[in-house]
Amino acid sequence: MKPFWRAREFSTLAILALELLFFTYYLWPAGGGAHPFFNFDNFVLIFKYSSIYGIAAIGASIVIISGLIDLAPGAVIGLTSVITGYCFVVAGWSLPASMAAGLLVGPLAGLASSWLVVKVKVPPFIATLGVMGIWRGFGFVVTEARFYDLSSKLPQNWHVMGLPIDWLGPIIMVLLAIVFHILMTQFQWGRAVFAVGGNETAALFSGIRVGRVRTMAYVIAGLLASVSGVVLAAVQGQGKADLANGYELDIIASAVVGGTSLAGGRGSVAGAVLGALIFGVLRNALPQIPGATFYDRMIVGVVVIVIVVMDQVLVARSAAK
Amino acid sequence: MSGLVFRNVSRSFGAVKALTDVSFDVSAGEAHALIGENGAGKSTLLKILAGIVQPESGDLSWQGEPLKFQTPRHALERGIGMVYQEMLSFPNLSVAGNIFAGREITKSGGRLDEKAMRERTAALLAELHVPATPDTPMDRLPAALCQLVQVARALAFDCKVLVLDEPTTSLTDAEVDHLFAVVEQLKRRGLTILFVSHRIPEVFRLCDRITVLRDGKHAGTFNRAEATPDTIVRAMVGREPPARVPRASVDAGRIRLAVTRLSRAPRFRDVSLTVRAGEVVALFGLVGSGRTEVLETIFGITPATAGQVEIDGQRVTIRNARDAAAAGLGFVPEERARQGLFFNLSLVPNIILPKAAKDAVLRINRRNDRREVEHQVATLHIKTASVDRTPDTLSGGNQQKVVAAKWLATSPKVMLLDEPTKGVDVGARFELHALIRQQVDAGMACLMVSSDLPEVLALADRILVMREGRLMGELDGATATDDAVMQMATHEVVA
Ligand SMILES: Nc1ncnc2c1ncn2[C@@H]1O[C@H](COP(=O)(O)OP(=O)(O)OP(=O)(O)O)[C@@H](O)[C@H]1O
Ligand SMILES: [Mg+2]
Repeated sequence: MKPFWRAREFSTLAILALELLFFTYYLWPAGGGAHPFFNFDNFVLIFKYSSIYGIAAIGASIVIISGLIDLAPGAVIGLTSVITGYCFVVAGWSLPASMAAGLLVGPLAGLASSWLVVKVKVPPFIATLGVMGIWRGFGFVVTEARFYDLSSKLPQNWHVMGLPIDWLGPIIMVLLAIVFHILMTQFQWGRAVFAVGGNETAALFSGIRVGRVRTMAYVIAGLLASVSGVVLAAVQGQGKADLANGYELDIIASAVVGGTSLAGGRGSVAGAVLGALIFGVLRNALPQIPGATFYDRMIVGVVVIVIVVMDQVLVARSAAK
Repeated sequence: MSGLVFRNVSRSFGAVKALTDVSFDVSAGEAHALIGENGAGKSTLLKILAGIVQPESGDLSWQGEPLKFQTPRHALERGIGMVYQEMLSFPNLSVAGNIFAGREITKSGGRLDEKAMRERTAALLAELHVPATPDTPMDRLPAALCQLVQVARALAFDCKVLVLDEPTTSLTDAEVDHLFAVVEQLKRRGLTILFVSHRIPEVFRLCDRITVLRDGKHAGTFNRAEATPDTIVRAMVGREPPARVPRASVDAGRIRLAVTRLSRAPRFRDVSLTVRAGEVVALFGLVGSGRTEVLETIFGITPATAGQVEIDGQRVTIRNARDAAAAGLGFVPEERARQGLFFNLSLVPNIILPKAAKDAVLRINRRNDRREVEHQVATLHIKTASVDRTPDTLSGGNQQKVVAAKWLATSPKVMLLDEPTKGVDVGARFELHALIRQQVDAGMACLMVSSDLPEVLALADRILVMREGRLMGELDGATATDDAVMQMATHEVVA
């Protein structure tokens, strides 16, 4: 077995650590006093925002490893918040029932995508682009461009099981990352996902039910995006159609920065979560750098490319040995 | 009781009748060979057995029970194990992952039992003498070892019928020995074996009976004892078997390729050789001896760690395939599917592209291209409905002919050939040899790697033998024997 520091996720973790070190040093307060970046509350904040991407990125990495792509998670997050909000605010359902209704949004999107891809043979990019449009659009139809205010019906200073609501996302993200990492690395189904993404024909000839594996991948990705949506609705106290607009690309980028290959067959769930955290730290720290305000998007773009290129160099080097 | 029975099986692809009314049976527990020219329908018949292709009419049965499979999974469940000609592997998984893909060993609770799979893999690799570990990533294995891993994969499961579609195309006699030892053992355990190969001696070694297909029709089933290689070949091609290509009578000319102390540590070291105009030099060695790596390094696909290359007396620096082509090198790569063909393009651009790139053609002359390609297709008997088809509709051997044809058309100064006739039938092999000879006689130098010793002996003027990454010696092609070559390739070094 490989030692742990040769594992794929270790290099992503190393990048995250470097990033933390860099910002801690760079933002060190000149006149002493509280550190604006390196403090507990700020870390909770980073985790809280990263978890929205991170939970969905778990699903995205599974879909990408199976050799597909999913552009729908942003729209799913938005519509989930809308459905949850509608049930809770307008229909007057209990919170758990409303959340359960919201959680159906993603799996339905996954079923639609996989039906188009597996049965109708629409290219995955186009199929999920279409699903993204329909799901996002339906949110606007339901809300008529207004939003549902959940926060007024939610308790002030809300605690769940003794923990502040801000912790909900991070905890769910870590738990799901562990569950799906184990599923992908230690169970037959996960191995089948890698096999299908590595060589579809070989997988078919090996008796793997390629269509079923890919359908499951899309449904899981949808479900996880819905979990992000429910968390976002609870934390922000809003159900809004244009919530998480454009997140799909950040979610895919998190998976790729975490070592998932867009060509399929390679990648890691844990890496995708670490990738989301790398983005989270950037988004949190860059605005704190004086004068960086207008550059932060450019910097994020450059960093993504640098990380992925670095990664390829490292992989090529270890392959040459 | 009857074993595996094919009754009136027919299947066509558009206008091509791949199989017409094929009936024969395979007794339970025998080793049965299926042979025929490229495109005769062998793989199609086997894919019907594996549930990948559905027959249009006719039926199959196993010990009296009908076999009707909609998917490969059904066939696997009924105990039909298959090694495909296309060598389907998962480049992203380890060797153990490949062997158990789709049928992993699990512990109670559904967790993968990695330890058990690794151990079983190690045992299989040892049995087949494959120098790889269970954890080796598949994409780091050379083609010949991938082929052995595919075989190991089929052996890893209890099956009743083991189907091997050209499992030996990249193997030398030494690896074939290991493979056959394992297969014989399985046969003794009662397995029924169906075996496809274009190497007639192999077929006679392993198989009790031989079924010949010709143009999709059953051309006869022979007992080994009653048949000779000549009767089989005659049944295959419907005419007299071809003679050997005559070796060049003229003396070799000036040195065209000179390689000095070329190394790519740790795969091979200190390889020095020359190839003259008008000469075919064969590089022979066992799987893993570094033979393919030498060609790939000369062609710039992998970097050398030391050494130099001269073409026509000029020192050349080759960093990539483009440099190599510019310097006057041509290369027929070993893995046709991955390295040699564009599956999205029809045969015309597939065959014309390298030549067009070399001549720096700007505007395509469709009519000329077509005529030239049709000419190539006719000389090499490439079996296809038209030159507008894509390569994936061709049988494996016919795809190989396309790859060989397209590079030979560029008439380079120095031609590097890696298994140029992999999976090509005896007749077409003769045509390819003649084509190579013709170009060599016109002044080309040719350096060839082939696992097929008869081919090496038939075509090479000189034979260089490699072992474990080093050149061990040189033999004269006209006088060398099987034994002499194999001994040099396998003999332990006496210190
Ligand atoms: N998917 C396909 N579409 C169109 N034609 C096909 C297809 N598969 C096979 N054929 C045609 O059917 C015929 C038989 O092909 P098959 O692969 O069975 O030959 P084979 O005997 O295995 O030859 P080889 O020795 O070259 O492997 C060929 O003419 C081939 O072109
Ligand atoms: Mg075939």
